Amino acid sequence: MTHELNLEAVAGRFYASLYRFALSLTKNEVEAGDLTQQTFFILAQRSHQIRDTSKVKCWLFTTLRREFLRTLRVQSNHPHVEFRPEIHDAPALSADALRALDAKAVLEALTQIEPTYRTAVELFYLSEMSYKEIAESLEIPIGTVMSRLSRGKEQLKAILSAAVSETSPKIIPLRNDEQAAQ
Amino acid sequence: MTNEAAKFILDTYRPNGADAQDPTFRAALDQAASDPDLAAWFKEQRSFDSLVAAKLTEIEAPPNLYSAILAGMETRSPIRRFTIGPILALAAVVVLSGIILVPMYMEHQSRTALISQYQKANLTMLSSPSWPQLDLVTTNFSQTQAYLAHMKAPRIPRLPGALLDLPTVGCKAFYWNHQQLSLTCFRLPSGDLLHVFVIDENTFHSTNIEDTFRDMDGWHVKFERRDGMLLMFVSRAPMAEIKEYI
Repeated sequence: MTHELNLEAVAGRFYASLYRFALSLTKNEVEAGDLTQQTFFILAQRSHQIRDTSKVKCWLFTTLRREFLRTLRVQSNHPHVEFRPEIHDAPALSADALRALDAKAVLEALTQIEPTYRTAVELFYLSEMSYKEIAESLEIPIGTVMSRLSRGKEQLKAILSAAVSETSPKIIPLRNDEQAAQ
Repeated sequence: MTNEAAKFILDTYRPNGADAQDPTFRAALDQAASDPDLAAWFKEQRSFDSLVAAKLTEIEAPPNLYSAILAGMETRSPIRRFTIGPILALAAVVVLSGIILVPMYMEHQSRTALISQYQKANLTMLSSPSWPQLDLVTTNFSQTQAYLAHMKAPRIPRLPGALLDLPTVGCKAFYWNHQQLSLTCFRLPSGDLLHVFVIDENTFHSTNIEDTFRDMDGWHVKFERRDGMLLMFVSRAPMAEIKEYI
């Protein structure tokens, strides 16, 4: 597919998912908005260089991530969030519990995934890119993408389970003597 | 293929089903169809993935972001959009004729166009119903300058004395064409706003910029170079009132 890009249509189609991806990277709404704008600005400047318009989504997410990393190198103030290994043992997560979670809590959980795995998982959920497109975007082998997705999603489940158990009301069973008193 | 190997592959299967035709998944999907344990795991996995993806789409982008993106894309420099053909043709003309004035003239034109784009981008931003969204809302001019200094954004170098008496509305630091700039907004006694954009004057090199008032799209606009910065004053207030302060 090699026809001219309709920039307005491309922006309309992808800006919201790009913004969410930017938000997961920056954890800041203003910076996410600026990063999204900057990505489309670069697209507008280089749109004539994009030969295969079917790859514009991959190009946008790749460019946004590169811009974010470039900004990081300049600012060097991005908080590094370590994965907490103890939450690997969190209980299984039910669909109802996940539905009850706030969207921002899910986004926050994404940002707590170990950095090695995080970007692949973010792209998987936020861009709906295939594993091949993720491999192309991150410039890593397909097998590595599979491995990172597998480990990253495992961590995400554990983090969400921990988040659910933190927000759930604590039920403490009555002792026998308390039951008798009632 | 073991179930563990199948799970490893199926973990990358997108929840929207877009990978259904991808042959990489064929063997793993066939196995899931015939193995109840793997089928149950896959069903649960897809449910989890769908829920996470759906949850994340609940996060909405700011309402003004789309219009800001469109305005930003409008400001792209046309010189970067040249295709190689015309550039080669132009180069051939330059080489053959030995004229070096042609590229000089083009550069001048480009810079002039750049100023026009800068001006247009700022006015588009101000004209948008939800703009300007300020980073800092304060009536204190010193606080706006402190914030911009913190953000390493260009600041108003010297303010005309009369303007110092006006309360500010707030300020914002942002980027245009990879250059950082700032916007500081003042409230005039009439209630109208006076906006001051500040950018490094080197952005436009030594291009001549008229420093007289002009009307554009219902705005009064005036440029002014000051201490290495290019200031752009913009307001819809009556000209007589603006001139009292600038």
